[in-house]
Amino acid sequence: MAVLAIAPMVVFGYANPGSPEGFVNDFAGLLNQEEKIAIETKLDSFEKESSNEIAIVTIASLEGDSIENFAVKLFEEWGIGKKDKDNGVLVLIAKEDRQMRIEVGYGLEGSLTDAQSYWIIKNVMTPAFVSDDFYSGIDGAVDSIIQAVKGEYVPSEDASDSGFDNVNWFFLIFVLPIWLTSILARSKSWWLGGVIGAIIGFVIGLIKGFLYIGFGAIGVFALLGLLFDFIVSKKYQKNRSQGGTPPWWMGGGGKGGGSHFGGFGGGISGGGGASGRW
Amino acid sequence: MVLVVLALVYGWGTYNSLINRNEDIDKQWAQVETQYQRRFDLIPNLVESVKGIMEQEQEVFGAVSEARTRYAGASSVDEKAAAAQQVETALGRLLAVVENYPQLRSADNVQTLMVQLEGTENRISVERMRFNEAVRELNLKIKRFPSNLVAGIFGFDERVYFESAEGAENAPEVEL
Repeated sequence: MAVLAIAPMVVFGYANPGSPEGFVNDFAGLLNQEEKIAIETKLDSFEKESSNEIAIVTIASLEGDSIENFAVKLFEEWGIGKKDKDNGVLVLIAKEDRQMRIEVGYGLEGSLTDAQSYWIIKNVMTPAFVSDDFYSGIDGAVDSIIQAVKGEYVPSEDASDSGFDNVNWFFLIFVLPIWLTSILARSKSWWLGGVIGAIIGFVIGLIKGFLYIGFGAIGVFALLGLLFDFIVSKKYQKNRSQGGTPPWWMGGGGKGGGSHFGGFGGGISGGGGASGRW
Repeated sequence: MVLVVLALVYGWGTYNSLINRNEDIDKQWAQVETQYQRRFDLIPNLVESVKGIMEQEQEVFGAVSEARTRYAGASSVDEKAAAAQQVETALGRLLAVVENYPQLRSADNVQTLMVQLEGTENRISVERMRFNEAVRELNLKIKRFPSNLVAGIFGFDERVYFESAEGAENAPEVEL
């Protein structure tokens, strides 16, 4: 039963239950391994086809906090939903308090309304939870939520960009410098690093606007690039003349990761959704 | 000479940052008002659904109606905040009275409306909380050293937190 309070919410402390290991985060141990995998698969393919992120989180206890506050804080901290679309949903279940909440991101408030969340809780989750059948309650809720949401987001060309955040940044930050290093090292001269640095600065200028950051960035990166190439070339030469194996950065490509959960997209919720208890 | 340049760059960055924070606060207040408006729009539906059965409770309906009118007529931020407070109080009383009519409470459409209102109250809470967070960010910058020097030069004032009126904590609660 929901409690309607007109008084402003008193804020208790909220503590992060941990980092997300997938769409299903069963901190309270309500599901067995098979059930978790089944739901995770469903949510994963839904995310891939629609870019919407539905997270299931079960916790043992709210520790005195209200479920509304906990849900909003958790949603924000984990960043459920894509950042520019805010298309996330959090289903939070607090075992000992016997309360649950469906928290809906800003972007999905139109299709998964408060009333719908309430009816999902009342008709699907509560009856199942009362008989301790957490799997069918959660699974049924997932199906209903997916149905409700499906109208709203049609996968667009943007959907493929959502991979950018995780995969491409990793590449840029870790792999690209190593690759650049191996090229720069081979050449004895060190002007190439300066050129590449200037290009990087130019690109940053394009993105962020030239007047303040761009020119500064070009200058800084050009200098850094020159310096970098100088150091790296020297090291390579030194190494070769000694006949040793090239320094570590010349190694072959690293092993690729298997398909695994890359984290949530950075979305946020505004307090929409509904709570219930069983 | 280098020190002067560094100080100027710092000052420039901090000034812009203070401006950003100020804008964040205004934007966040707009969010709060959006939710007030949402609640404002939901109330007539609730009133219509229960009016037929609760016809003798004219006083309560009158209070709600008056509060809504006041909100609609409010123009400044302070007026709006005060009017919103009045709406909350009147609404609270109406919901408390609905409690006395069990056949109403279990009606589907009434339940749906209650849920929508509750959702709106929650949203108001969240936006207010974010408003206060934004105010805090600015006030910290204004007070801390060395950004307080920049704030002083350009005349940035502390912003006021949102605090609900006294007595609001005593508003009635409704069990659905």
